Amino acid sequence: MTQEQIYEEDFEIKKEKSVVREIFSWFGSNLKFLLVPGSRLEELTLREIEFEQKKSKRKFIRRFKSFLTIIGIILIFAIVTLAVFAPWISPGTFDEANGIFYNEWGPPSEINPLGKTSFGRDVLTRLIWGARSSLTIALPAITFSVLFGVIIGVISAYYGGWVDSIIMRIMDIFLAFPGLILAMVFIAIWGQEIQYIMLAWGILGIPYYSRLIRGNVLQARKLPYIEAAKVSGAGSWRIMFKHILPNVIQPIIISFTFDIGGIILSLAGLAFLGFSDPRMIEWGNDIAEARLHLYDAPWASLWPGFIILITVLGFMLLGDGLRDALDPKLKNL
Amino acid sequence: MSMIKFIIRRLIAMIPVLFGTLTLVFVLSRLMPGDPILAYLPEGKVDPIMYQQMRQQLGFDQPIIVQYFRYLGDLFVGNWGFSISINRGQDVWSLIMQRLPRTVDIAIFSMLIAGFLGIKTGVVSAVHRNKPKDTILRGLALIGVAIPVFFMGMILQFTVGYLVPIFPTTGFKTYSFPNPPSVTGFRMIDAFLSGEFYMIGDYLYHLVLPVVCLSFIILAGITRQSRSSMLEVLEQDYVRTARAKGCKEKDVINTHARKNSLIPTITVIGLSFAGLLSGAVLTETTFGLVGVGELLIASIRDVDYWVMNALVFVITILFVSINLVTDVIYAMLDPRIVY
Repeated sequence: MTQEQIYEEDFEIKKEKSVVREIFSWFGSNLKFLLVPGSRLEELTLREIEFEQKKSKRKFIRRFKSFLTIIGIILIFAIVTLAVFAPWISPGTFDEANGIFYNEWGPPSEINPLGKTSFGRDVLTRLIWGARSSLTIALPAITFSVLFGVIIGVISAYYGGWVDSIIMRIMDIFLAFPGLILAMVFIAIWGQEIQYIMLAWGILGIPYYSRLIRGNVLQARKLPYIEAAKVSGAGSWRIMFKHILPNVIQPIIISFTFDIGGIILSLAGLAFLGFSDPRMIEWGNDIAEARLHLYDAPWASLWPGFIILITVLGFMLLGDGLRDALDPKLKNL
Repeated sequence: MSMIKFIIRRLIAMIPVLFGTLTLVFVLSRLMPGDPILAYLPEGKVDPIMYQQMRQQLGFDQPIIVQYFRYLGDLFVGNWGFSISINRGQDVWSLIMQRLPRTVDIAIFSMLIAGFLGIKTGVVSAVHRNKPKDTILRGLALIGVAIPVFFMGMILQFTVGYLVPIFPTTGFKTYSFPNPPSVTGFRMIDAFLSGEFYMIGDYLYHLVLPVVCLSFIILAGITRQSRSSMLEVLEQDYVRTARAKGCKEKDVINTHARKNSLIPTITVIGLSFAGLLSGAVLTETTFGLVGVGELLIASIRDVDYWVMNALVFVITILFVSINLVTDVIYAMLDPRIVY
């Protein structure tokens, strides 16, 4: 083995390591850039950077610290706590939440503070366990649609021409239906199981996000820094995902928070109509069951509705606060 | 002239989307599990000869591509088939025409109410920006977005329908009242034509709760848009000029600012139609109104091919044409937009 070969091997190993590190640092720096406006002012002197960072951070936190936003964060925190620590918080176990007991539709008592629902199950227990299913469906579904929507939208806007028009026509077709109805059809085709419900909502979110990001990419594409990147020899993919994407992703972040709430709401709607996994402990399912007993056992249907309201409200308040903080001129409504 | 050109161009641009939707609906309906012929034939023992006859008669033995073109042709000729399982044997067109007026009624009423109220509250909350009034209105608007329609409906049913029985909770007419002779299918117009004015009152009385529910869904979006566009307008130069001239603040807001802030708001009102349709499905189920939304769920659940296809066709056409109308109104309101 000659000296050069050894050098080469050494070099390759180093490069491999640095790729992983690069990904992490890219993510870190971009996350910081997204959340802290003005954190990427590399032309300034060190002192100025420090000053700017402090100023913008302070501003962001000040704008973010409104009364409604804090309520939203508290609500989300409460619901996530319920979901994560359900076995310790809830008065009954998972099996008890699905068991069959006497005294169906019983009124609130000392043992069942919120009353009983069908098969004599405790409402409170089911509320606490139900937090899990709503969050576990909503989060993967929306992550799926953001991921694919952003990729499709950026590609379509960057290349333009026939690629753009074909992709956007397909998106138009999906947007021409009310989402709830299309979701119902998908679930009817695939079957009422949790993974298909997730997939249906994930697919239905794609057109919306790709539309949202497309408009911004179309604007950003014509800016001078993209030309500069092209001149210095950057490839299309590098420009798309390294230069353009970090600059246009803000509305997506805002919309993401809102849409978690929206999806939880739609899921409850679907469950209410009977298009849901019947094996799940889910608030919408509970309402659909208890709806017929609204007048003789109102607690069984009103409490799940109330907790859906609380959850969705939390995400909407946080989204509103984020938008006010990130986008003070309210350009992206 | 350019307006007519614009409308025509938009109509032409609608065509591929329309075909795409129809294709999607066809594919989806063929993917649905369940056999429509088995659903149509009387339950119990199925005669295999009769089954084959039905299959041939309805064209299910043809290749899928032939079926597709037959489906397109039938849809445009107006031969929409018949209901398989919901109302066995009834013509789809007459079935939809029975149900559509009620949905259109509640959609229009809630659109009007939500539009009016939303613009009003948006302007108020923009004028009082960051004051307690604004915070309260925004909080209320957010609750409006966050509340599930059916939960709202159930609260209304329970409180003003059951505990304090003011409003009727289900149905669209008092049980003992007869139907007016059907001319247009719209109950209000029919009752008006036949001179039975008490029926109009009765109908409106029954629609109060559903309309309140449905308008709440889109109210928040309209309020938010109205607020932000009003905020933008209030920073414009001409508002400052008006104030400098010595106009009263009320006049500045009502005559100078509000009209200009309306343009984006109207787009949002038009686009909220999709939300209304989804909401109508839930509202109709909650309040037991037999409308299109309820029919749609039943057709998906019971695999009623022709009803589902025709309904989705109707809804898509409604939706796309509302979008077109919104665009045209937008262009008429804003003279700066040149198409």
